[in-house]
Amino acid sequence: MAIVSLDNVRKEYLLGKTALLALKGISLKVEQGEFIALAGPSGSGKTTVLNIIGCFDKPTSGSVSIEGRPITELSNNQLAQLRADKIGFIFQGFNLLPVLTALENIEYPLLNRNFLPSERLRRAKEALENVGLGKFAKHKPLELSGGQQQRVAIARAIAGQPQLILADEPTANLDHKTGTEILALMKKINQEKKTTFIFSTHDQKIMDMADRLIKIWDGEII
Amino acid sequence: MIAPLIAFRNIFRHKTRSLITLSTIVFGCVALIFAGGFFEDVYFKMRESYIKSYTGHIQIFKKGFLEHGRTQPYNFLIDDYEKICREVESIKTVKFITPRFEFSGLVSTGENTISFMGMGVETKNEKANNEITNNLRQSSNNLTVGGVVMLSGEQFKESETYSITLGKGLAQAIGAKTGDGLVLLTNTVNGSVNALDVNVKGIFYTSSKAFDDHFMRMNLKTSQKLLGTNAVQSLVVMLNDTSNTKITLNLLKQKFSSQGFDLELRSWEEVSDFYNQTVTLFNRLFLILKIVITIIVILSIFNTMNMAVFERISEIGTIMALGTKQSGVISLFMYEGLFLGILGGTIGLFAGGIVTTIISSIGIPMPPPPGATMMWLSEPKLIPSMFVFSFTLSVLTSIISTVYPAYTASRLEIADALRNK
Ligand SMILES: Nc1ncnc2c1ncn2[C@@H]1O[C@H](COP(=O)(O)OP(=O)(O)OP(=O)(O)O)[C@@H](O)[C@H]1O
Ligand SMILES: [Mg+2]
Repeated sequence: MAIVSLDNVRKEYLLGKTALLALKGISLKVEQGEFIALAGPSGSGKTTVLNIIGCFDKPTSGSVSIEGRPITELSNNQLAQLRADKIGFIFQGFNLLPVLTALENIEYPLLNRNFLPSERLRRAKEALENVGLGKFAKHKPLELSGGQQQRVAIARAIAGQPQLILADEPTANLDHKTGTEILALMKKINQEKKTTFIFSTHDQKIMDMADRLIKIWDGEII
Repeated sequence: MIAPLIAFRNIFRHKTRSLITLSTIVFGCVALIFAGGFFEDVYFKMRESYIKSYTGHIQIFKKGFLEHGRTQPYNFLIDDYEKICREVESIKTVKFITPRFEFSGLVSTGENTISFMGMGVETKNEKANNEITNNLRQSSNNLTVGGVVMLSGEQFKESETYSITLGKGLAQAIGAKTGDGLVLLTNTVNGSVNALDVNVKGIFYTSSKAFDDHFMRMNLKTSQKLLGTNAVQSLVVMLNDTSNTKITLNLLKQKFSSQGFDLELRSWEEVSDFYNQTVTLFNRLFLILKIVITIIVILSIFNTMNMAVFERISEIGTIMALGTKQSGVISLFMYEGLFLGILGGTIGLFAGGIVTTIISSIGIPMPPPPGATMMWLSEPKLIPSMFVFSFTLSVLTSIISTVYPAYTASRLEIADALRNK
């Protein structure tokens, strides 16, 4: 069964009186364990697609299923629980909470799961080790480099062992070398844990590291 | 718990802004604690000076006096007062009991004749102060029993039957000074006319201008002589502490009715209209102050929390994307508001206590209250209930003013919030 399935998803934004069609009927199936790049120029709709898969943006029409379960009928709280349980997120701007240490940042989303505190801590520590930052547990995000922050963000995404991780331009704020390292780390996790990754990029080198490339142009898959 | 932790650390993200908000809360607490202590001191001083200078804590009359005394002042006199005094003095809360006689008459210098109010007292307890002091703290306390301060001359002695002291206003009205001779003219209790030559031993003032304008004081014996009686009109009971008024009043009532004394009692509160009105007025003023402070604190916290929400839009989007529910976002901000309130309230309590203590130890010179004559020194008190009130107010206003910003934060669209940079 496909872990993600979009069927004829359209997304319309109202800008004053004119409607802007950001997605013009996207259909897509993603299988468990895939490593997918979503490529396209700026404004083509990559972020919108990822947001819809991430269950926090609703399509204007069309249907979305996660693990075969349609999400259109779910309440905000149910969607939040679904994200907490099944989806990890990596952002372009790292989006760590500045008041929390690296370890606390990783622990934070686990609060929305039914883990014991000791289990939460164990998982967070393990995830931090996995991204090679075991020594930086007590550091605050601002005391870390961009690459290190993105590693912490990856640790945060994998600590709950979700089946799916969504990454919107995870390397766009990093220099090329660090970006490649980050992607290699994601790839390693994908291979070891069979975690499905969907990430967006407009960097050719990064696209080349994907197993499958989906190209978006002006709201359509080409 | 990470949510309270985040909330707590968030307070210190914008140090200056949090400091300003905390200062507002602290200022509110200080203002409330100080004002509460100030008003309480006013009430206390007013009450005590009124009690000490005039009403005593409890007044004892012959049954019927309170209703008919005004028209038939001499029909309700207490004959066996020495026995009653002994009874009353045996009560632990009683400091002393002293008889009084109030009457009216005419006083003449030979040239001028005007009406006066006379008060016969026993000097044993109703001492006068012979020192006028510029030290306000002392003079505030000087208003002791009898509440009389000598302006010139001195207090008559117990043996001096033909000496009186004049209130300042009364002395001016007839143009008499210390050492002058006066003639007093009254009706005796039997209705005949009596006159007495007396000598002005001194001129006094009290905290009440009305009293000084109309009254002269003399030995109880002198007044009894003038009025041709051995009885007294009232007995004034002074207690060790004003807070004992109610118990003592009830105790006396019981005692008198079981022993068959034909008496009625009145506490200072029943005759202190001016005090009661002042308390009502000041409490109203204080209420307005409380409301103003509450509004200032609410606006300040509201502003801070709104700015916090505005600045953290992308963070809010992030944690919601990570699975935090709307209620989780709300509680994050509510914790922050709560902590601000607790922190501000706690600092406010200490600051309020310190400021009030310091100001109280210096004292604020105050003009005489309406109808009174003496400057006094305000020494704001530390009132436990004001501390509880200020702290509760800090915490409650903080929580209340956080509700709306927290709600707005929880209603953000995640996709929009994440695009916000
Ligand atoms: N909230 C919104 N309101 C109006 N239009 C929007 C909104 N969000 C996105 N759009 C529009 O939808 C289209 C797709 O935007 P989207 O962010 O998905 O593109 P993208 O491929 O992620 O671009 P980039 O590479 O710049 O991140 C764009 O034209 C954008 O202007
Ligand atoms: Mg984008």
